[in-house]
Amino acid sequence: MSHVVGIDLGTTNSLVAYVKDGVPEVIRDEQGDALLPSVVSVGDAGTIHVGREAERRLLTEAQRTAYSVKRFMGRGREDVQHEAEHFPFRVSGEAGGVVRIGLGEKEYTPPEISAFVLRELKRRAEAFFAQQGEFDNEVDRAVITVPAYFNDAQRTATRDAGRIAGLEVLRIINEPTAASLAYGLDKKHSGLIAVYDLGGGTFDISILRVEDGVFQVLSTNGDTHLGGDDIDVLLIDTVLAEDDAPVASGRTPEQLQAIRKAVIQAKWDLSDREETTLNGKRFTRARFEQLIAPVVERTLGPVRQALADAALEPSQIDEVVLVGGSTRIPMVRRKVAELFGKTPHSELNPDEVVALGAAVQAGILVTGNRDMLLLDVTPLSLGIETMGGVVSKIIMRNSTIPASGSEMFTTAVDNQTAVDIHVLQGERELVADNRSLARFKLRGIPPLPAGMARVQVQFQIDANGILSVTARELRTDVEQTIEVKPSYGLTDEEVERMLLDSFEHAEADFEARMLIEARNEADSVIQATEKSLRSPDFAMIEKDELAPGERQKIESVMAGLRMVLNSTDRETIQKWTQALNDATRHLAEVMMNRSVKAALSGKNVDSFRT
Amino acid sequence: MASSTSPTLQVCRDCGGGAPVDAHFCPQCTKILSLGRHGDYFAFLGVPRKLQLDPGDLERRFRELSRQFHPDYFYNATAAERRASLERSSYLNDAYRALKNPVTRLEYLLRVEGVPVSGSAETAEREGFNRATPPPALLEQVFALNEELDEIREARSSGAPAAAWKARLDAARLPIEAKRDTHQAQVDELSARWDGLVDDGGSDAAKRDVLQALRDCVLERNYINNLLSGIERELNTV
Repeated sequence: MSHVVGIDLGTTNSLVAYVKDGVPEVIRDEQGDALLPSVVSVGDAGTIHVGREAERRLLTEAQRTAYSVKRFMGRGREDVQHEAEHFPFRVSGEAGGVVRIGLGEKEYTPPEISAFVLRELKRRAEAFFAQQGEFDNEVDRAVITVPAYFNDAQRTATRDAGRIAGLEVLRIINEPTAASLAYGLDKKHSGLIAVYDLGGGTFDISILRVEDGVFQVLSTNGDTHLGGDDIDVLLIDTVLAEDDAPVASGRTPEQLQAIRKAVIQAKWDLSDREETTLNGKRFTRARFEQLIAPVVERTLGPVRQALADAALEPSQIDEVVLVGGSTRIPMVRRKVAELFGKTPHSELNPDEVVALGAAVQAGILVTGNRDMLLLDVTPLSLGIETMGGVVSKIIMRNSTIPASGSEMFTTAVDNQTAVDIHVLQGERELVADNRSLARFKLRGIPPLPAGMARVQVQFQIDANGILSVTARELRTDVEQTIEVKPSYGLTDEEVERMLLDSFEHAEADFEARMLIEARNEADSVIQATEKSLRSPDFAMIEKDELAPGERQKIESVMAGLRMVLNSTDRETIQKWTQALNDATRHLAEVMMNRSVKAALSGKNVDSFRT
Repeated sequence: MASSTSPTLQVCRDCGGGAPVDAHFCPQCTKILSLGRHGDYFAFLGVPRKLQLDPGDLERRFRELSRQFHPDYFYNATAAERRASLERSSYLNDAYRALKNPVTRLEYLLRVEGVPVSGSAETAEREGFNRATPPPALLEQVFALNEELDEIREARSSGAPAAAWKARLDAARLPIEAKRDTHQAQVDELSARWDGLVDDGGSDAAKRDVLQALRDCVLERNYINNLLSGIERELNTV
């Protein structure tokens, strides 16, 4: 049977995990690496590079390389304008529409870029299952995590990314909740848990009550634009300001990326050292903490709000769990410990714990195992626009999901057959201060005098935290048709088209992979041949056993293969590789016979001894 | 005979069998029932229509029912069952949310008993304070407070130091806050009486009286809360 996995689609790194005999495990690549950098780079020929290779290309092809794309998921161009300048890639898109990211000649939506990362994880998992000797190694279903504070548009964008990557997204779950699932496995926890999740680009705090295996989220809060990236930007700005050389505008994107790499390294260094060097200068932890204090401080407001929403005091929390790479920073740990008055947990790797939890949830979904149950909440209130640009709330924030709410609408003029509805998410009073989710037209209302129609609109937030809307005219009991136009999302048709595009890409990617494999194969045949020709007893072999001109033949074929090795013509490379194999077959046989003879004679010596 | 507002039976859409209205699973085919006819929040959670409920018991019931019909466990089921699980879980979550908080529980009880509070806590919050007319019992205090608020606003706009008008504002809300405390005692007493009537099967007239008294309490309390949050807002907009 095909496989199901849990995926942590992170701002900086992404991971894939699965459940083996009830225990979640992270799947590593051939090098033993669990983390796949969430970086995508487009080569000149349109080849897509993902992960470490893409990350390397930041230093050489910065403008063709995208990172931290999670910050753009489900956002409009206006939302990201102010931070777009920090990135080497082009950020564009129509006003009021989805962000587009330009890499080389092409433009991609954030879900498409994320889909490249997801596809790579899918491939990694499939290679792993194949290696495990699984008959069916296909991975076609996944649970994908998102920050708890992601709104509907950001969740939908993540689900779209999964679909574009050819995955059925079984469930979107919240990262802190996933982490708590992973933590709740070994010990039989019960009590109140706070999960503080500071990642590369997002911050979440969730307060949970755990009892009898039910993980019930009481409240959640956060900031989807707060994380390690912000620390990096601060440090980059500091380096640029302290530098005597011309300002940022005078540098190439690649130089800026080199600085970014250096500040990230310095940040890591300071997690377990008191000082390091940055840009050739001494850089102390004290100075670092002074710089990042405002960023750390920004996380504490949401923590207090989440506690207030759960009607709890910090001292009532039994356990505090740290998640996300940025919680390695000592100052973050210290501030969290101070606020709660207890030392936070960090037994599990903060990078891996979310993927592990996602795998656990995937296991629950496919097996129906009822030992554990996750009850999450919607992070933001859902409302609709009413007269005067005021929001009327229908589902309050921190409501356990699935949740539903309904609102009655009527008509303003006689024989009106359609009503416009604007759905928003957020806590503010005014429409303009909230997130626009969708606008839709309620059609097919029977013609009646003004105010007579009674249309009940039902809002349903499912277990993914994603909204759907249905409507019914109560007098006639007619179901209304609703055309939802997502404000910052993709339509189903767009997702469908991207999925098809991605298949074409998959072919191009497949071709690229085959080419690399052909080159590697050619390379290893050349290596082996050279080794044989240079072996100490080759002269004797040539004299005793090779035909005249045989060595020259081998050498000329090898030279031919070398010449085609760097072409992009896979078939020619393979043809020449085959030719070299043929040319060396006799030599190989001769050498094999000689080594067998040597082994036999060796054995004789051995048998004498015993 | 069951009236149209309180049905006692529902029909399983899967096998066509009948089931009690409060059942979650069909007694015949054991499938999860779609949320057609259903009981009120109290019946859904299987608790009496009382005001003083044990929070621990309520939470246990909520967890137990979540375990029975959360969408997680219907992933491989038919579309109809998945739909039923989603609807039933949503309703359960709404029910638990409404009943776990004593304030919303009381408002919900008044609604299902047919004496709804128009300006419920939620709608009042939406509409902002000062919208509703003050309940008669509060007229005097509200009048005094509004007068005081006007004077404070005037002092503010003419540049009085923040410390001065803040102190006045703090003083102004004290009598209102005291009123809220006496209200809570009143609500507790009425709630106990209501629960007693439910247990002993009290007369409809007696029940009606208690409900009306509770309704008045809620209206007054909502009004007070709106006043206080108005003052809070005044304090915060510096």
